[in-house]
Amino acid sequence: MNVLEIRELTKKFGEFIAVDNMSLTVREGEIFGFLGANGAGKSTTINLIASLLRPSSGDIRILDRDIAKHSRFTKMNLGIVPQDLAIYKDMTAYENVSFFTGLYGLRGAELRERTEEALKFVGLEDKMKGYPKNFSGGMKRRLNIACAIAHRPKLIIMDEPTVGIDPHSRNYILNSVRKLNEMGCTIIYTSHYMEEVEEICSRLAIIDHGKIIAEGTKEQLVATITDVKEIRIELKKGSDNLLGILRGIPGVRNVDMKEQTIRIFCDLEVDNLGLILKALIDQDADIRSVEEQEPNLETVFLTLTGRTLRD
Amino acid sequence: MVKDIYWLVITSLRTNFRKRSNLLIYLGLPLAGVLFSLLLYSGHGQGGLHVGVVNEDGMEMAANTVSFLESLDQVEVVGVTKAELQQQLAAGKLDSGLILEKGYSDSVLAGEPGHIVIQSLKGAEVTAYVKAMLYNYIDNFSVMGKIAAGDSAKFKQLYDEYQNIDFELTTSSVNDTSVMVAMSNQSIGFLIMFMMMSAVNLSELIIVGREDRTYFRVMSSPISSRTYVISNIIANFIVMLVQIAFTVICIRYVFKMDMGISLLQLIGLLALFALVSVGVSLVIVAFSKSSGMSGALQNLIVTPSCMLAGCFFPVDIMPSFLRRIADFMPQHWLLQTIGQLQEGASLEDIGFNILVLSSFVVVLFLLATYKFKRMNDTRSFA
Repeated sequence: MNVLEIRELTKKFGEFIAVDNMSLTVREGEIFGFLGANGAGKSTTINLIASLLRPSSGDIRILDRDIAKHSRFTKMNLGIVPQDLAIYKDMTAYENVSFFTGLYGLRGAELRERTEEALKFVGLEDKMKGYPKNFSGGMKRRLNIACAIAHRPKLIIMDEPTVGIDPHSRNYILNSVRKLNEMGCTIIYTSHYMEEVEEICSRLAIIDHGKIIAEGTKEQLVATITDVKEIRIELKKGSDNLLGILRGIPGVRNVDMKEQTIRIFCDLEVDNLGLILKALIDQDADIRSVEEQEPNLETVFLTLTGRTLRD
Repeated sequence: MVKDIYWLVITSLRTNFRKRSNLLIYLGLPLAGVLFSLLLYSGHGQGGLHVGVVNEDGMEMAANTVSFLESLDQVEVVGVTKAELQQQLAAGKLDSGLILEKGYSDSVLAGEPGHIVIQSLKGAEVTAYVKAMLYNYIDNFSVMGKIAAGDSAKFKQLYDEYQNIDFELTTSSVNDTSVMVAMSNQSIGFLIMFMMMSAVNLSELIIVGREDRTYFRVMSSPISSRTYVISNIIANFIVMLVQIAFTVICIRYVFKMDMGISLLQLIGLLALFALVSVGVSLVIVAFSKSSGMSGALQNLIVTPSCMLAGCFFPVDIMPSFLRRIADFMPQHWLLQTIGQLQEGASLEDIGFNILVLSSFVVVLFLLATYKFKRMNDTRSFA
């Protein structure tokens, strides 16, 4: 059964086309990864699914019902975890979850039960009476999730739920996503962290300039990449100056740096490792290790969009 | 929809009234306005007069005049020097000063009273009573002086007969209701301003919701934007009803001010004005892109319009062109309606004013709805 079905969806803002004739299907029980760089059209698509925007053309169906015609039914079965925290600072954690869950018509003992259940699920049962202003970033993110799941939606859309949080909270959230999925929820997950998507998503789509440019399982997508390789060089001390120099080397498609590790995406057929190492040595870079990576989702993304996910 | 509105209104009221700062804004500020009015009008039309007397003449006539002054009800006479008089008048310790200059007694006996000066920094309303009584007294002696034509024995005879006259003049003070009405009107003026400010603060929650993204989450639930705005209006209206009832009851029963109008009529009129305030606040919010902008618009609109409409001082003291501007302010129509009722107008007499205030409500709500509808994105409300 299809939980979400998007058909020929287009959204224009004046002359700008944010979503361009998009078609997509998410099946029941999937954790569906939605990948795209900033401005690719992810958030616009999510806003359209949540009925916060009206499409210029095309239609969206949730649980086989058109969201325009069956707004209440589709919204009752949808939970949104927005990228920006959407919680009231002057309400306690309990009041936040209770208020948002009450919007779905729950009252009395059932509301109390669901509220406590959701807070327990995200590990905030000890902080029910606490105010979000006193919470850590990770706790706020977890509260943000609790507000979206207490009404037990069938489809949950999580937009960058792990942005800017500590590793402990991140792991907690990723485990929660898996648990929700095991409990029968279908999840659409967007993230800038490719490793998260690789870790939890059963299928994914890559969106660029408002269009789906690839869709399938991780293995299916990686199998399509035959012309790009990734070289990882770990330095003792990284420097942004090096990136510009490396980008000028023939065969280098893109370069980025995370902590002390430089990732260089090159044309597979060009042998430029010597030039890369020479450039680094000329800049007095202290090289600790060099390794060539197997193609992964990042490589897929770069090949298809010409950018890394963090660009 | 009704259940959704109930849920939103109850949550909104609960969070609003829980915050002490909100209680201060909704209830404390109008009360501060009442206290300010009380302070402003304290002493007006109440208590006796303190009159300082400088007797430079020293003759019997002058002494009799001072005795007469002392015999008046509501007047307390204090003997002072000229320097002390000026000092105490300036300090507000004395309401008025009487200087009987040398030659005063002779001038009265000659039938041409002079060498008498009355001073006050508080104007005619303070000196009028003293002047009226004193001049009447002096005039009598002046006439006796004229009849005696310089014969002191004859004057003494006339004076004794006058002193033994068998009619008696008694004076008593009556309540000056105009001061009470002015004081309560100014309190209502402050209440009007704080009602409008509270309304904007509450409607501003719509913008704040957009800014902190909670509006996004509410809109992704089965709640429609229309339901959201309607519940904000209802919560806003309820807060103002509480504000009105609290302030009016305090004015009447705590500060014992007689407003010259029944409480129910006053609350009814203020409730109608509460809808006007909600309308103004919705228009401000509809035209604001951020909470900062709505705050600025509030400052730009609420206080100056209240000032022009006569919330802080009577419009009669303003130039005619400003008085014409006041006609475009809903606050002015409310104050005018209250004024008419205080003067004894019937409900039929104020029908036109009610119609004008209702028209303000309709026009403001239509304007806000039109503007909200034109926002065709996630920030859309209607």
